[in-house]
Amino acid sequence: MRELELYFGPQHLGMVGNFSITLNVEGDRIIKATANPGFLHRGFEKLMEQRTWIQNFPLVCRINVVEPDHMELMYAMAVEKLAGIEIPERAQYIRSIYLELARVGSHLFGLWAYANMLGFDTVANWAMYHRDLILDLFEELTGGRVYHIYIWPGGVRRDFPEGFKDKIISTLHAIGSCVPDYDNTFFNNRIFYKRAKNIGKITHEEAIKMGAVGQVLRATGMKQDIRKIEPYAAYDQVEWEVPTRTDGDAYSRIWVVRDEMIESVHMIFKLLDKMPQGEAYTKIPNPFKWKIPGNETYVRCESSRGELGLYLVSNGEDKPYRAHFRTPSYNHGLTILEKALINESIADVGNIMISLYITAPEIDR
Amino acid sequence: MDRNKIGKWLKSPGKMGQKYSLHALYFCTGCGIIEIPPTITARWDAERFGVIPVATPRQANLFLITGYVSVKTLRYIIRSYEQMPEPKFTVGFGSCPINGGMYWDSYNTIKHLDKYIPIDGWIAGCMPRPEAVFIAVTHLWTLIDKGMANGYKKYRDNYQYYRKNQEQVLGKLEWPPLFSIKN
Amino acid sequence: MNNTGISLKEILLSSFDDIQAEVTDEQRLTVNCKKDSVVTVLSSLKNRGYNHLALISCLDWIKDNKLELIYILTSYTEESEKGKLNILVKTKIAREKAELHTVTSIFENAEPYERELHELYGIHFTGHPRLIPLFLEREYKIPPFRKDFDTKKYVEDVFDQVPFIKDKKGKK
Repeated sequence: MRELELYFGPQHLGMVGNFSITLNVEGDRIIKATANPGFLHRGFEKLMEQRTWIQNFPLVCRINVVEPDHMELMYAMAVEKLAGIEIPERAQYIRSIYLELARVGSHLFGLWAYANMLGFDTVANWAMYHRDLILDLFEELTGGRVYHIYIWPGGVRRDFPEGFKDKIISTLHAIGSCVPDYDNTFFNNRIFYKRAKNIGKITHEEAIKMGAVGQVLRATGMKQDIRKIEPYAAYDQVEWEVPTRTDGDAYSRIWVVRDEMIESVHMIFKLLDKMPQGEAYTKIPNPFKWKIPGNETYVRCESSRGELGLYLVSNGEDKPYRAHFRTPSYNHGLTILEKALINESIADVGNIMISLYITAPEIDR
Repeated sequence: MDRNKIGKWLKSPGKMGQKYSLHALYFCTGCGIIEIPPTITARWDAERFGVIPVATPRQANLFLITGYVSVKTLRYIIRSYEQMPEPKFTVGFGSCPINGGMYWDSYNTIKHLDKYIPIDGWIAGCMPRPEAVFIAVTHLWTLIDKGMANGYKKYRDNYQYYRKNQEQVLGKLEWPPLFSIKN
Repeated sequence: MNNTGISLKEILLSSFDDIQAEVTDEQRLTVNCKKDSVVTVLSSLKNRGYNHLALISCLDWIKDNKLELIYILTSYTEESEKGKLNILVKTKIAREKAELHTVTSIFENAEPYERELHELYGIHFTGHPRLIPLFLEREYKIPPFRKDFDTKKYVEDVFDQVPFIKDKKGKK
C-alpha cells in the first residue's frame, strides 16, 4: 500500500487547542507522527523582562488557560524566596483550598474534552455544568471567572468573605452526590473499556526515559507527587494518599484522574476543619519602586498535569532578568506523543492526545 | 424575538433563515477557547439562538476568532475564511484582535486583525462572559436586518488591498488569489 | 542543609578536577564546569540516580559577552532526602559563535529543549539529530531572546507599517 501524508491540523473537530500533528499513514495504521507546535507562541519570557515585578502577575496567568492558578503560585513563591518574605499560616491554608478547587475544575474540563471526543455528549454536559458551579465560587471570591489574580507575594489578596465556607461545602456536596451517576454512565461503561484499554500504552521504563510526569507517570505504577516530596502550602498538615494504577494505557490514566478528583474533595473538607484564624497577607514594600537583590532560584509544584517548575533570575533591578517556565505538557506533547502514536489507527489519535493531557498554550508559551 | 411579526417573515424569508441559523466554525484559535465550551453546553445553551459548532468551513456561516492571533495561525485563518461560502460573518472575540491587547509589544502576534480579513463586530473583554456572546449574536441579527453586515462584500471589492497586506506580513502565499485582481 | 547534597558534592569534587560546587540551604547543588566536560558530568550524575532532566535554560550576559547554559536535574525516587535535591549544572560559552555538544545521547527528552534554544538564542548543537525550527516560522537578523533585540522597534517596523483598508468613500 502506498504512503499518505495527512494533517491533523489546527482546525479539526477532535482537537482541543491550537496544535497540529503531521501523520504518515499506510492504510489505517500510522507509521510516523511529527508534532508541530508554535501556533500560540507569544514570546512570554521576553515580555516578562520588560515589565516590573508586580506588572507581571496578569501576564503569568495566561500561560495555561485551563488552570491559571498554579502559574501564579509559582511566580509568587519564587519572588518570595528571592525577596525573603514570610507568609502567615492562614494564608497557607487558603492557598491550599483555592488550588484544590482549581484542580477539580481543571480535571472536569479534561473530562469534557475526553467525553466529547469519544462522542459521549451526556457526560460532557454534566462535567461542564459542574465546572461552572466551581467558577461561580471563584467569581464571588475574586471577581473573575477564568483569570483571577488572587495569589500575591506575601499571602493572598483578600480573606474569605462572610459565609463563603458554607458555600464551598454545599457546592462540593452537590458535585459529590453525582459521583455514582458518573460511575454508572461513564467510568464503568463497556464501550469506554473497549475504546480505551491497551491504547497508547507506555511502560514504566519508557516513561522514565522520556521524562514523563503527573498522571502519565502515576498510571505506570510510581507514586511520584511533588506535594509529598517538597510540601509547599498546607499539604503536610493533613493526611491524604496518592492514587496510582499499574497498566499505563489510556484507561488507567482516566481512572487516575477520577481518583484524584475524589481525593481533592476529601482534602478540602479536612483543610476547612483545621483552618486557623489570623491575617491573610503580609504587606510588601511600595510596588512601584520595589527592587529585589540579585540571586537565582528554582521552585516546583504539582499542577493538575504534572510537575511545574520556574527558574527565576534577578539582577538587583525592578524587572526580572530571566524567567523560564518548565511546563509538564512540553515533554508529553513533543517526545512521548510521537512514540505513543506509532502503530495505532487514525481513529485513536484524539483518544491518545487527550488522555496524555496536553494543553497547547503550555508548550508554546 | 420576532414571533409576532408574521409580515416581516413573509417579506424576506431569506434573511430570517440566515439570522436564526448561524453555524459557527469549530476552530480554537487562542485563549478564548476556555469560554466556548460553557457557551455551547447545557447551562448557557447557544442552540436556542441557533448557533451550533460544525466541523468544516464548507458548512459554516459564522467565524468566531477567539483570542489573539499569531503569525502562524493567520495563514490558517485566511485559508479557512476563503473556503467558507457566502454570505459569511466574522466576529472578533476578546480584546486582543482589536488592537493587540496585552501582547502589544510581542514580536509574534498580529496587532490589528482588521487589516487582513474583514470583521463585522467586536466583543470586548478578557475573557467575555457567555452572556456577552449572546448579546453579540442579537446585535448581529439587527445588522443583518438592516443590510449592514457586509464584510464579505467588502472583501470581494477590495481584494487587491487585502492580498497586498497579507503578503507584506506573511511573505509568499501558497494559494492563488481568490478573486481576479484588476491592475 | 541537605546531607545527600553535601556527600554528593564531595564525590564530585574528588572525581573531576576542574569544577566548582556548592550547596545552599534551599536544597540546591550548583556545579560550574567547562563546556567540554558537560557530557561527562551529566552522565556520571545520571549513573548515581539523578535521571530526570527537568530543564535546559540559557542566560544572556551581554556585558561579559558570554552566554550561560543551565541544566537542571532531579531524581525519580521515593526516598525523601534524595528526591528534594535539585542539581544545577552551569557552563559558559562565547557569544559570537556559540557551539556546544548535544546531550541527547544521555537524556532522550533533551531534543526539543535544544531545538528551542537554537532558534531563540542562536546556539548550534553539534550531533543533534533534528535541528530545525520549533516555534518560529520566519528568519530574524538577531535571535529574538538576546538582549540586543528590541521588540518595540520590531513591532513598529513590521506590523505598524501595514495600512488600514479604506472603503471607496474613504471610511475604514
